[in-house]
Amino acid sequence: MARQLVAKQPVKFRSSKHNMDYVLLTVVLFLVGFGLLMIYSVSSYEAGIDYGDSAYYLKNQAQNTVIGFVALFIMIKFPYRELQRLDVLAMIVSAILIVLVKSPIGITRNGASRWIDVGITTFQPAEVAKIGVIIYLASIIQRLESLGKNIIRTPKGLAIVLVPPTIIAGLVYVLTSNLSSAIIIMGIAVAMVFVAVPDYKWFVAAGVTVLAAATALITYVANADTTGSNFRLGRIAAWLHPEAYSTDKAFQTLQALYAIGSGGIWGKGLGQSMQKRGFLPEAQNDMIFSIICEELGLFGALAIILLFVVLIWSCMVIANKTVDRFGALLVVGVMAHYAIQVILNIAVVTNTIPNTGITLPFISYGGTSTLFLLTEIGIVLNVSKNCR
Amino acid sequence: MADRSRNSSRSSIHKNNTSKRNTKTDRRIKRKQRINQNKVKSMKLAVMMLIILLAFTGLGGRLYCLARDNRNDYQKKILSQQRYDSKTLPFKRGSILDANGTILAASEKVYNVVLDCKVMLSDEKNEDPTLTALAECFGLDQSELRKYVADNPNSQYYVLKRRIPYEEMSPFLDRKNEHNAAAAKNKDMGIINGVWFEEEYIRRYPNNTLACDVIGFTGTDNNGTYGLEEYYNDILNGTNGREYGYLNDDAALERKTIAAADGYTLVSTIDANIQAICEKYIKQFNAEHVDEEREGLGAYNIGLIIQNCNNGDIMAMASYPDFDLNNPKDLSAYYTEEQIAQMEADSTYYDTLNSLWRNFCISDTYEPGSTAKAITLAAGLETGRIVGNETYDCGGLLEVGGHKIKCNVKGGHGTLDVSGSLEMSCNVAFMKMGEAIGVKNTLQFEQIFNIGLKTNIDLAGEPKTANLVYNEKSMKSAELATASFGQGYNVTMIEMVAAFSSIINGGYYYEPHMVSKIVNSNGDTIKNIEPRVLKQTISSTTSEQMRQYLYATVAEGTGKSARPAGYAIGGKTGTAEMVPRDKVNYVVSFIGFAPADDPQIVIYCVIDRPNAKDQAHATYATGIVKNVLTEVLPYLHIAKTEEMTIAEQAEVDNLLGNIVQGDASGEASSEEGGEGAQDSDAASGDQENGQPGADDGTSGESGGRPFYVVDPNTGELIDPVTGKTAEMDYSMDEGDDLPDPAGGGAPVEPAQE
Repeated sequence: MARQLVAKQPVKFRSSKHNMDYVLLTVVLFLVGFGLLMIYSVSSYEAGIDYGDSAYYLKNQAQNTVIGFVALFIMIKFPYRELQRLDVLAMIVSAILIVLVKSPIGITRNGASRWIDVGITTFQPAEVAKIGVIIYLASIIQRLESLGKNIIRTPKGLAIVLVPPTIIAGLVYVLTSNLSSAIIIMGIAVAMVFVAVPDYKWFVAAGVTVLAAATALITYVANADTTGSNFRLGRIAAWLHPEAYSTDKAFQTLQALYAIGSGGIWGKGLGQSMQKRGFLPEAQNDMIFSIICEELGLFGALAIILLFVVLIWSCMVIANKTVDRFGALLVVGVMAHYAIQVILNIAVVTNTIPNTGITLPFISYGGTSTLFLLTEIGIVLNVSKNCR
Repeated sequence: MADRSRNSSRSSIHKNNTSKRNTKTDRRIKRKQRINQNKVKSMKLAVMMLIILLAFTGLGGRLYCLARDNRNDYQKKILSQQRYDSKTLPFKRGSILDANGTILAASEKVYNVVLDCKVMLSDEKNEDPTLTALAECFGLDQSELRKYVADNPNSQYYVLKRRIPYEEMSPFLDRKNEHNAAAAKNKDMGIINGVWFEEEYIRRYPNNTLACDVIGFTGTDNNGTYGLEEYYNDILNGTNGREYGYLNDDAALERKTIAAADGYTLVSTIDANIQAICEKYIKQFNAEHVDEEREGLGAYNIGLIIQNCNNGDIMAMASYPDFDLNNPKDLSAYYTEEQIAQMEADSTYYDTLNSLWRNFCISDTYEPGSTAKAITLAAGLETGRIVGNETYDCGGLLEVGGHKIKCNVKGGHGTLDVSGSLEMSCNVAFMKMGEAIGVKNTLQFEQIFNIGLKTNIDLAGEPKTANLVYNEKSMKSAELATASFGQGYNVTMIEMVAAFSSIINGGYYYEPHMVSKIVNSNGDTIKNIEPRVLKQTISSTTSEQMRQYLYATVAEGTGKSARPAGYAIGGKTGTAEMVPRDKVNYVVSFIGFAPADDPQIVIYCVIDRPNAKDQAHATYATGIVKNVLTEVLPYLHIAKTEEMTIAEQAEVDNLLGNIVQGDASGEASSEEGGEGAQDSDAASGDQENGQPGADDGTSGESGGRPFYVVDPNTGELIDPVTGKTAEMDYSMDEGDDLPDPAGGGAPVEPAQE
């Protein structure tokens, strides 16, 4: 059948053999390579001081990247439809892994239990949960739709679709104190449902509700005395008045702003950041974008944003072209995952929203996130081979 | 099946639906549903993409605004929080070594242990290993540390320990490296972090009080005070290095390090062993005479210089009271706490300290007394006014210029030849010699022997003494007469040593000096300081003659008590009456050389007002000299030439056998004190009719400081009583009385028969 299509539509050169999306792959390769470069630039100073090896983080991330690409190429070959069988299992495994952070193999760093130790390495269950939710939703939405047109829009259908991701997000938030991952998981779920159903009004209503709640909270924090209240409210206060909290809560944010602002249009040049020298601790994680701005300027930052737009756009095109419902929804989930994470990360770095720890996909340092992000890319490329 | 249907539906979207003929109803419904789904999907994806693009556009705009509006502001903020201000890398001040390489002064690098809690707590896991390592390596109380960290998590500069040497600091570094290497493999361990060491140099004087006045001291500011530390301050100091950052053309921060250049090391001519011997006997003297006649030290000041007379090297220069160079402001050895508090209250504290720190041997002036007779005689021989076969009659008194000036022996010495005059230290004979030499020659030889001029010894604090000696205007016949036996003008010890060396070494006047070599921090010689002969003062024949006379003075005359057993030495005693001339306060001294036939060293000991009922005995000085020489001459490998009696042998054995204790020699010296009473050669005669002025003489009452003090700012001499710059008014009461160097108008030598 596919061969028949090729014969009938010889116009697309990409389709001549198989139509894997090489633009997407190229963009990802570039982002990953650029990420390694930036990790070295950002972390070499601190790594040299802390570990006596300025390439400490670079080496680790290179290792993670190699593992990630192995996963990526496996996923290109792996028949992605088999993933549909994993839907409920994915949820259960995610939930178990998240609960394990409170077990003896869980690791607590900086007061948060976000990692588990599996012997050879450590990883974050929240990252597994993200891909788990994508697989679960893509699968369950397809199944519900095949059962009947509007089942998904009934309360029962909606419950089947949304309750498990909400539980996972809740677990992530409660057990690992990781609000940002919980938000991302919920965001992915909402985006996938949004694409699956024809309605708008519910989403508009939900959006307005969330905005109103956020506004109310912000107004409350702005007028309340936040001293001694919990740290999330404190972060909101620090977001509203970063200069007032310049020594503690808003220190990182403010330093990131200084980095961005001082970079100007063309930046100070690769490796020339001053902020990475002790003022933005562990900038290779969440705050790497601010150093990119400082070193490469607005130009470099916009170029990176543009690459992410191309990446997301490619995902959209693949999702659009994919007739297979499951595959298309997988791509939509991955696309939502990248988009939310990139937008939230840049929003945090620019102090557009309160500070919450979100990494920049492909560029920030982190083993688990790199592995699963590349796995997701593998799935998307696999789906792209089967689209029109 | 699903595949097939999907593929067909896919084609059906773009193609005509009518091309399919055999579709069942449910399939049609399903296809419709799929078409519907895809429409919804495309639409929704477009909406989602729009939202995403809007978000990116918004963020891009935000970035642009940040970069546009805050660029300069934030750039300034970043630059201001950078520590690009320069950091000084301290140089190491050079050491001061003695002639044998013994360290007299050295700077030592020390470390302050500083804890930066904020850096340490950047990862909570770091706290445990860091604090444990600190507690174990530096013996600190871990619970206190934890308490401090808990209370001050943002503290960035907390000094845990001050000024610890490298040996105490390095175990921590080793441990840190080991631990952090292990931690790099196991992330859960946490690293040792947030501890750093601030470098500093402190000056150490391993021998504490040894040669304190010569060495001087240096605080943490690397600014030497007194002695070699001050004189060679610039050479001892190096150049600070710098680690600095600057902004280059692109407003980027660049860092640069310029290493510090360490200071040069001085190799002194001082021999710490000889110095220690000298100080030992000075202290012994002090111990014997402390609180004897008056409350206080054994003498107001004691000075002792040993010089190599053949090159001007100062081998030892000791003075007392001394102080601990490591703790120069400690007055507790000499004053009670109440006295110190009182001094602080009436702001004499620093005056007291300054007088303690000042080097008596070069800074204080006094009338030399009879030791100057050697100079008078040398001048007479050199000018030919004295040939050596003269004889002098001494009736105990000589009238000069209207004054009747007495000899030290009331009845007179009778007839003396030249040698006998020196041996007996006869004032009358020397006044006659002075008359024969004349004012012009006397003044000329005053110049030749550098009396009244700085010797330019390489030590800080040598005063100008030009206005403390006679000149053509001030020297009349009476002044000429008293000057011939060393009264009426002032000298410093170092002037006397340098002049006397030239008298006995063949006439070569060497500039006295303390430093023989300057080496850099690697030990390479930067500069050799060669002996400098400034002039020929007298001919070698005269010098030879002088050696004979001075030998005879010790062998037969007043200097007997200075001779160490087994050695032949030459020398001259001195007992100078101080102003006011009331026969109370004396400066007693002995200047000599050894061995007599081939002089190697000159030794000069001055005791300023010994703490004794009857001060006018040069034996106080000769006692010290004898003890010192008994030990120093064998140390210098100078062979004994004289026979020793059994008693002498026993005495030497006793002395050398008790080098540490020094008790036995104390006995010996006090014994001599008794014997020496007859040797005394009080310079000024009886003051039978002391003028009333003597009694009101505040200068005399001041007692504590009859010497001129050098103003540190101007270099001028200051009258310690009035506090004004001293001016010698030699013209006053012309020819009437002996000039009184204090200018206080207390006539010295009333001439009365």
